[in-house]
Amino acid sequence: MIDYFAIALTHGLMALAAWRLLARPDLDDDSLASEEKAKPKPWLAARDDNPGDGHG
Amino acid sequence: MAMVDLVLLAFIGLIAAMGLKRPFVWILLYIYVDLVIPQKVGWGIIQMFPLSLMMFALAFGGWLVLDSKEGSRFTFRQGLIVALLGLCAFTTFRAEFQDSAWEKWDWVWKSLLFAAFLPLTMRTRLRIEAVALFMVLSIGAICISGGMKTVFGGGGYGTLRLLVVENSGIYESSIISIAAIAIIPIAVWLARFGTVFRPHWTVAAFVAALSFACLLMPVGTNARTGLVCAAVLAAMMLRTVKNRFLYAGIAGVALVMAVPFLPQSYLERMSTIFDHKEDESASTRIAVWGWTLDYVKEHPMGGGFDAYRANSFTYQMPQVTGSGNSRSVTYVEVTDEGRAYHSSYFEMLGEQGWLGLGLWLLLHGIGLLQMELVRRRFRPAKGEKLGWQGGLAEALQQAHVVFMIGALFVGIAFQPFGFLIVGMEIAFGSYLKRQAEEQRQGPSRRWATSHAALSH
Repeated sequence: MIDYFAIALTHGLMALAAWRLLARPDLDDDSLASEEKAKPKPWLAARDDNPGDGHG
Repeated sequence: MAMVDLVLLAFIGLIAAMGLKRPFVWILLYIYVDLVIPQKVGWGIIQMFPLSLMMFALAFGGWLVLDSKEGSRFTFRQGLIVALLGLCAFTTFRAEFQDSAWEKWDWVWKSLLFAAFLPLTMRTRLRIEAVALFMVLSIGAICISGGMKTVFGGGGYGTLRLLVVENSGIYESSIISIAAIAIIPIAVWLARFGTVFRPHWTVAAFVAALSFACLLMPVGTNARTGLVCAAVLAAMMLRTVKNRFLYAGIAGVALVMAVPFLPQSYLERMSTIFDHKEDESASTRIAVWGWTLDYVKEHPMGGGFDAYRANSFTYQMPQVTGSGNSRSVTYVEVTDEGRAYHSSYFEMLGEQGWLGLGLWLLLHGIGLLQMELVRRRFRPAKGEKLGWQGGLAEALQQAHVVFMIGALFVGIAFQPFGFLIVGMEIAFGSYLKRQAEEQRQGPSRRWATSHAALSH
C-alpha cells in the first residue's frame, strides 16, 4: 500500500512536471525565458489560479 | 503486482510520448530509468524490455537528430570522463577476473558515457532545473516508501523493503541512505527557486515531508554511513544559515528528542561507529584497504574491475559465549575471501590503479572547487537575497560533499547517481560561463534583457 502511494505521488508529480515543460519555450532556448514573468499581471493579482503557480 | 507494471509502463509511455514534442524530456526519462530501475520494481512484462538500453538510445538519438546544439560545448571534465572510460576499457581487457570484470564493464560504460554526454544537453536554466527535479523525485519515490515504512515499523540493515526485493544497486542500504541525504539540499533549492513548481506553501510542505523521509532512510536501513552523511550535511548547512545559534539549538533539541524513538537495533549498530573491534564489517574494511595498498605496489595500473576477489584474510574474531558467570570470550580464526573494497577511493585505486584514482579525484575535486567559486561569486551582498545561481552552487556542493563522504565507506565510484551530480555541475558551470561571455559582448542582444529579468 505504501509503495503504491509513493509511486503514485512521485510519478504523478514527474508527469505533471514534464507536462508543464512542454509549454515552456525556455526549455530549449534561454532567450525565450518568459518575458511575461517580468511584466506585472495586475489582472491576475486578485486571483490565485495562475497556471504557473505550482499547486503541485 | 501486474498493476504496478501497467502503471509504470503507462508512465514511461506517457513521458516518451511527451518527448515527441520536446526531445529533452527523453533525457529526463533516461535519468528516471537509470535511478529507479523500474524494471526491478515491476514483476512481469516490464522485465521483458531492455528498458535502460532503449531509453539510452532514445535520449541520445533524440539529442543527436532533433535537438539544437547551440551553446553545447565539450569541457575539460567531460574529457576526463572519456579518459576514465578509455582507462576502464584498457584495465578490463587485462583484468585478473575476466568474467566479473566484463559484467561490471557492462553497466559502467553506460554510466560513464551518459555522464560525458549529459552536460551537452543541459543548455538552459530550465533544463538544469528539470534534471534536478527528476533526480529528486526519482530518489524521492524510494525514500517516501522507505521513510513511511520506517515510521510504521520494520526495517534493518539490508531488510527494509524498498520498492524492490533485492538489496542491490541504488536500493542497497548504504547507497540509498547516501543518495537520500544528498538530495535534501537540492530539494530545498527547488522549493526556493523552482520555476516548474513555483515557491508556494504546498511545495514547501512537500519538500519538508520529503526531507524528513530522507533523514529516516539511514534509520530505517540501519546504515551507519547515512548517519555520518547526515551529520556532515548538518555541519555544512551551519555555514550558510542566517541564524547559526538558533539553527544549532533546534538541531540539538531535535536530535535529543529523536533518540528515544530510534529502534534498539539502530542504537546498537550506531555505537559501533566508535568501537569497531567486535564488528566484522568495520575491521575487514580496514584489512581490505591495507591489502589494496599492498596490491597496487605490485600492480600500479590496478587489477581491473573486481580485482578485490584476489584477497583473503585470516584474523581473530572475539566471540562471546554464555552469560553472567559462565560468560567467556574465545577467539576464533575467521578467513574471509574476496571482500569488496567498501570504499570508492580504494575501489578506484585497486581496480584502475593510481592513474584511475587520480582522474577520478581530479574530476570530483574540480567540481567541488568550481561550486565554491560560483558560490562566492554570487554571494548576496548585505540586504540582498540569495539568487538562484548562488543557491544552486551551494546545493550541488553540499550534495557532492555528502556523496564523497559516503564514498569513503561504500564502493560507489561508478554509480550513476554520483555522475549525475558531476554532470549537473559541469552543465551549470558552462552555462554560467556562456552567460558571462554573452554579457561581455554587449547588452544590445535580446537575451541580455531577458536574462536580467530572469536572474532576479
